[in-house]
Amino acid sequence: MQTRREALKIIGAVGVTCAFPFSANELYGQHVHDHGALQEAQTSTPKFFNLAQLLIISRLSDLIIPPTDTPGAAAAGVPAYIDLVVNEDPALQATFREGLPRLDTISASKFNGAAFLQLTEPQQIEILTTLNEAPGQDGAFFHALKNLTADGYYTSRIGLMQELGYNGDAVLAAFPQSTIPEH
Amino acid sequence: MRKQVFDICIVGSGAGGGTLAAHLAQRGVNVAIVEGGPTVNTRTDFNTHALPFNFPNRHIPTMKPGKTGMGSERARGVGGKTMLWNAVALRLSHRDFKGYTIDGAGADWPIDYPDMAPYYDRIEREVGVCGNRDGLEDLPDGIYNDPPPLKLGDLLLQRGAKELGIPIIQTRKATLTRATQTRPACHYCGNCMAGCDVAAKYNSADVHLNPAMKTGKLTVFPDSVVREVIISKENRATGVHYLHRVTGKQGEVHARCVAVACACSQSVGLLLMSVSSRYPQGLANSSGQLGRNFIPHFTSGVDGFLTGLIGRTVVNDEGYIDHAYLPSYMHAQKRDYARSFGVQIYTGIRRTTGWARQLPGFGAAYKQHVKERFPAYINFQCFGEMIPNSQSYIELDKTKKDEFGLYQVNAVAVQQENERKIYEAMNNASVAILEKAGGEVLSVSKFEEPTLNHYLGGCRMGSDPRTSVVDAHCRTHDVPNLYVVDGSVFPSSSEKNPTLTIMALAARTADHIGDRFKQGDI
Repeated sequence: MQTRREALKIIGAVGVTCAFPFSANELYGQHVHDHGALQEAQTSTPKFFNLAQLLIISRLSDLIIPPTDTPGAAAAGVPAYIDLVVNEDPALQATFREGLPRLDTISASKFNGAAFLQLTEPQQIEILTTLNEAPGQDGAFFHALKNLTADGYYTSRIGLMQELGYNGDAVLAAFPQSTIPEH
Repeated sequence: MRKQVFDICIVGSGAGGGTLAAHLAQRGVNVAIVEGGPTVNTRTDFNTHALPFNFPNRHIPTMKPGKTGMGSERARGVGGKTMLWNAVALRLSHRDFKGYTIDGAGADWPIDYPDMAPYYDRIEREVGVCGNRDGLEDLPDGIYNDPPPLKLGDLLLQRGAKELGIPIIQTRKATLTRATQTRPACHYCGNCMAGCDVAAKYNSADVHLNPAMKTGKLTVFPDSVVREVIISKENRATGVHYLHRVTGKQGEVHARCVAVACACSQSVGLLLMSVSSRYPQGLANSSGQLGRNFIPHFTSGVDGFLTGLIGRTVVNDEGYIDHAYLPSYMHAQKRDYARSFGVQIYTGIRRTTGWARQLPGFGAAYKQHVKERFPAYINFQCFGEMIPNSQSYIELDKTKKDEFGLYQVNAVAVQQENERKIYEAMNNASVAILEKAGGEVLSVSKFEEPTLNHYLGGCRMGSDPRTSVVDAHCRTHDVPNLYVVDGSVFPSSSEKNPTLTIMALAARTADHIGDRFKQGDI
């Protein structure tokens, strides 16, 4: 068996001399990493929610994944994603139909009749903290919202590339060697 | 006009059909392949390099706009599932071929490792497999190019596993790590399963079919969904009857010999649909065994994070997806079940972010929590060997028809006590390794929610025509010029990914059929 060092040498050599030998080859000639050329998913007109509901969803998604040194969920287009998914899922539709009005009901009872969007950020967070731990439908609503927000955000360009720093899907001449760092 | 009669008509164009066709064409046999799906071009047709945000619902369609294929069980496309496979290429061992003799459970193959070894050699040379010669009893070594290095996460898991006495090796894949004259080396973009657009990863169309077509000995009929194998009064297969996928027009391809190679359940389905007065229960089913002994792999999964990688700078090390493999080691252990399992180890996988929703809380702290764990996410995909049982089978659902008006094929697998024990053992081993390597377990799959992969069985290979459908050369016991060449012939599944074995079996069958033609036996 080859030692790791020898294997590295060979793979390294292949990387330098052989990874792109086919510039005119039918296999490699057409090889363009074209994901950048694909259209970014466009924000379209809402399909399920009305604008008032979308404003609430937008605020909720930003409370779950807020702007920090990178943009938050709303700027990453999460509300439009949630609208799209909920529009195709009757079970989620029921969850949101009941859950969204409940927010204002809870706000009103806790904070002198104020609607959710009128609350201060700490007050809004207080309500979500309660929902996060709530049993039954309130908890189910919050978790549906959180799941969709996480899914939408971390599959967006902002979430995946800017926030998480994803840098794959690229051409590597050779696969990098790793070593376990000494402590 | 005299009707054209090919030497052999092969139904399906994947690992089994493609290999069989290429090897026979090479020997001068005049081959026709009848494939239900369209011609697909791995360089231009798949959404290989797309990312989720290119699509509003974040689901990446397999095909590019305007391209068809891979949309139907019955009609995938020329090249079959090899167009989208993960390329893990493992040899079965003596222990896999003789599981019943060794463990008293499952079924023996009528052939053994020495029968297959030369064909494994030939296929590995032909398609280019990378790996190390690890010297393991349960996973025979082959002829390999050097594999890409392990990722940092793999090394940490390997170190943890070693403390437990469990081996983790570099996986073996039919992906080129050095260029050949016709195919470039892998460029480690991490999109293997979306279709390798340079064919560094083996696929049947580029590696087997296209070169074979250049010999003039292979004709491919795409878009032709076979509905019946035609049998003569003299009990010989004489060709196939098909429907055109788009026009619905009917047609026939005639040949002196027929091989069914349309992937496990569809092969069984085709034979079950091919009824006649001689074979009222399905072609080659005088034993009543057709569709029985369905033994797909059952899979489990453990997700988690390696503590040592939390918060590290993200590097591009997606590579060719899984670089590490936990090979079967159980035979040396005291255990309360028969047979074994293997685990594909995924580290550095960064396009899967579905785990983020499982982390607790919300707000800036949650966002930070996800970001820190992004470089540390790991996943064990465990594969177990299923013992055949009477509740697991493939059948036609005569109440449901598909888009071609043909009966839908149902595959039912029921896991029993031995499977439950393996399931728990493979999850426990994964959890133990992760903990030893220093990690957090995020989720462990549950036996009650089973997942299947690698459909195998249904046309069992055996020497007794009363208990099996095909013989040791994949020839049906009932019809002397009818063959089945795919995963359906496996008498036992092993825990190992089956494709390399399907290809080696096809090469072996090609030798046998070629010899019969030479001897004037067909």
